[in-house]
Amino acid sequence: MKSTEDLNRVMDAYADMIRRICFVHLKNKHDTEDVFQNVYMKYLLYEGTFESSEHEKAWFVRVTINACTDWLRYFSRRKWMPLEMIREEEEVLDSMSSEVLEAVLELPEKYRNVIYLYYYEEYSAVEIAKILEKKENTIYTWLSRAKDMLRKKLGGEWK
Amino acid sequence: MNRIQESMNKIQASEELKKNTLQYLEKQQKEQSPRRGFRIRFVLAACCILAFLLGIGGYSVYIKPVSYISIDVNPSIELGINRFEKVVSVVAYNQDGQDILQHLSLKNISYIQAIDKLLQEESYDKFLTEDSLLIFTVISDRSDTIIEKINTNQDLWLYDALTYTSDKTCMEEAHQHEMSFGKYRVYIELSQYDESITVEDCHGMTIGEMQDRIETCRHEGTENREENQESYQEHHEKHHKNKH
Repeated sequence: MKSTEDLNRVMDAYADMIRRICFVHLKNKHDTEDVFQNVYMKYLLYEGTFESSEHEKAWFVRVTINACTDWLRYFSRRKWMPLEMIREEEEVLDSMSSEVLEAVLELPEKYRNVIYLYYYEEYSAVEIAKILEKKENTIYTWLSRAKDMLRKKLGGEWK
Repeated sequence: MNRIQESMNKIQASEELKKNTLQYLEKQQKEQSPRRGFRIRFVLAACCILAFLLGIGGYSVYIKPVSYISIDVNPSIELGINRFEKVVSVVAYNQDGQDILQHLSLKNISYIQAIDKLLQEESYDKFLTEDSLLIFTVISDRSDTIIEKINTNQDLWLYDALTYTSDKTCMEEAHQHEMSFGKYRVYIELSQYDESITVEDCHGMTIGEMQDRIETCRHEGTENREENQESYQEHHEKHHKNKH
């Protein structure tokens, strides 16, 4: 049983991050809302303890990515439309940001994950490997390919 | 700040999304509590039922006697022993036995401990005189083991006790006559020497008295046989002389 204070704390700490991971994976705000709630529901039912705040954050990252993947698998017939997500956020996004995020969202799913975790959350490749439960070399490969793809779309100075 | 960070920073969870989610969680938590409570109660109830059934099973195994020892002097007491060699039933078959058991609990201890406890009991000890005879009669699938344990118990050597085996048919017959199967076995033995003896006669006799009677009958039987043999020899010799 989690206290209201604890739920408020994790809401303040991870809501934006969860929203961004959903943004990277999901097709629209409606899906985002469902997955967002699912992630917090998983936390509500989680009976383990976290060794540190980093451990807790990594748990939220992994659970959110898995929740998004599960959601997409469940609704796999629906086509991935990154522009829809960008359009939903057009109020807050300027043209530069729209361009960057569109390029990111057009990447294959596994590359979207590593780009988000590496460039936004600033996790190292080793940490990403642990969170995604993949080999470090795989993460390096994905990062390298994702960077190449972004470079092609956004030009040499994309970062 | 890189461009991805800069762009991503603009993607935020709206206050509405946070508020809706917190309300959703609160609602779920309220629903979960009784459901989880119910689940816990259900699991506890299931555990209790299982423990109860196992308890009944275990208890029924525990209380079931698989071996019996009849301890007879004049007090006649039968011990029922379960498969764990613990005494689970104690029955007295005469007044002397009943008087002793009024003050003595022999249940839930090993049969050797029960026998020791019984023999050390003051009210029992008075029956163990020089003229008395203590016998242990065993009915069991492993009577040899029980008899060996009794015979090798040094505390019992003092009493010069005798040990016998019997069977459940004898026990049923004995109980029909309200007699311990140990004493009934002595009656059967005695009746082989003295056809006039009845179970009712034996009710009023101690084991020592019955055993004396057996010895007397044996002795008389031997004398009679010797007399018979002598008279036969005399008769044979006379016959032989007459013949010649």
